Amino acid sequence: MSAAISLEHVHRSLGGEVILGDVSLSIAHGQSCAIVGPSGSGKSTLLNLIGLLDEPCHGRVLIGGENMTGASGAQRAMMRNRSIGFVFQSFHLLPRLTVLDNVALPLFYRGMPVPRARCAARRQLQLVGLGARMSHRPAELSGGQRQRVAIARALVGEPQLLLADEPTGNLDGEAAADVLELLKALNRERGVTLLLVTHDPAMASHMQRCLNVRAGQVGDAR
Amino acid sequence: MLAEHYGPSASQRLAESIANLGTMGRRAWLGLLGVAVGCAAVVALLNVGHSAALQSRQLFQGMGSELLVATLQRDSETPAMTAQPPQLSAVSPLLISAAPLAMAPVEVRLGAISEALMVTGSTPALATVLDLTADQGRLLSEHDAHNAYLLLGAIAAQQLQASVGDQLQLGRYLFEVIGILGPIGYNPLLPVAVDDGLLIPLQAMRRLSSAPQISAVVALARDSQSVRVAADELAGDLRMQLPGAEVEVQVPQQLLDGMASQARLFSWLLAGLGAIALLVGGVGVMNVMLMSVIERRREIGVRMALGARPVDIAWLFLLEAVILASGGAVLGSMVGVLAAWLFAWLSGWDFALDPWSIPLGVVSALLIGVFFGLQPALAAARLQPVAALRDE
Repeated sequence: MSAAISLEHVHRSLGGEVILGDVSLSIAHGQSCAIVGPSGSGKSTLLNLIGLLDEPCHGRVLIGGENMTGASGAQRAMMRNRSIGFVFQSFHLLPRLTVLDNVALPLFYRGMPVPRARCAARRQLQLVGLGARMSHRPAELSGGQRQRVAIARALVGEPQLLLADEPTGNLDGEAAADVLELLKALNRERGVTLLLVTHDPAMASHMQRCLNVRAGQVGDAR
Repeated sequence: MLAEHYGPSASQRLAESIANLGTMGRRAWLGLLGVAVGCAAVVALLNVGHSAALQSRQLFQGMGSELLVATLQRDSETPAMTAQPPQLSAVSPLLISAAPLAMAPVEVRLGAISEALMVTGSTPALATVLDLTADQGRLLSEHDAHNAYLLLGAIAAQQLQASVGDQLQLGRYLFEVIGILGPIGYNPLLPVAVDDGLLIPLQAMRRLSSAPQISAVVALARDSQSVRVAADELAGDLRMQLPGAEVEVQVPQQLLDGMASQARLFSWLLAGLGAIALLVGGVGVMNVMLMSVIERRREIGVRMALGARPVDIAWLFLLEAVILASGGAVLGSMVGVLAAWLFAWLSGWDFALDPWSIPLGVVSALLIGVFFGLQPALAAARLQPVAALRDE
């Protein structure tokens, strides 16, 4: 069976500066994996390449065995929508939309009718414990609640891959622990492949695998 | 790969774009207003042009499509025509009546009032040709040919404050006012403004000028279909009767054709002015949309991360521009029609809605919206998700 993520000799540079050089790695389905490394080492760039938000200068990126090298913007968007969920450090919720419509947004893009998309979003919000906050705007929620909304949005499309870029970076200790537990539970119970960029060694220790990014090179830390 | 249905439905796109515009507030209204002003200018100017053309057409049609005017030009050696005026009673069976016109400017005095007016000498047939009526007194008759009688035009009577029975001094002679004509309005085909002048018998012109000349003949055809044939017969007859005179007969249709082409040109000029205003409105829409794209880069990145394709992003912004333009078009059309109606009303014209004005105004406003909305929409669609998300 193919890996959830495969990178083959991936090279990414920006303005002549090498950010990632000749990176090859493979992450199995259902694995939880932390990406650690100092600031500016290329952790987020690695996550963006895997999440098809960025394109490598050389090399191949395969998601679920499908080669996305040279795919068009539309093909990459559809793959992101169907296979990848994103959780960002600063939540990136759309302030104009209600919590429910924020979560349903990926399904709108999938072409799902509004009532069905909202029904699925409602279910997902109940699962992350925000069933009572659906008609609120993001600005009316706490940081921890916003991140839960972001997680519900990432999961509503039932992706195989969940990419989290410092998901607890803007949260206090208790909220951070909640979010971490939620992510671990999703990985454990739904079999979602989890990739988590973090500065926090304690958080990384909760993942099955840890990748260390340093000076544009990626290696297994454990 | 992944070729099945994807992307929000048209109604979802529309609802989302409307909601986004709602959050733009005053800026969206300004963009809409720019297009509305442009569209209003197009609609108003087209309608003003149309009403103006109609007004002048009505004016010409009011003078009678059966009217013929023959202008006569003669060299100085030809004797005065008033000595032997052309016989017009049996020129053509297609003509109801024909009357010669001899004109001269004269200083007219009544008591302390003195006015320089145009005096026209003609025969009683003129009343039939021009459908003259007397508001006071009576019209000239065959028996008045050698009398010093005159008829006053409606405006001239007001200027001189004259009434029937008054003696007006024309040059060295006194003429008696026997009637005051009802107003007939300005008729651009006629060489004389009847309302502003005086009418006297043709023979009486010799009292005012030693060699008065008949400079025109006006005639009335039996029906508008036979006007051109009647014009040819009138021209031929006058050339025979007045050798040495240059005769040119004008029919209203010739003038109407000329006027129609002038009105078209005028309308297009006005529409051009409107189009410039619309163009400025379009630049306003582009400005609003470009600002919106810059401010919403992060949102664009998030939408792309969640699965929005470049075309979905382009539609989002393009629809916003088109909605602004549509709102502007609706508002502008209403204001444009109202402005044109007001202009027509203030000018004393009949307002006539140009059937093309609203479709042209609306379609051009929508095209402007698409044209000026396309560039910001494409700029948004071309953003790389990672670059858009990075935007602070």
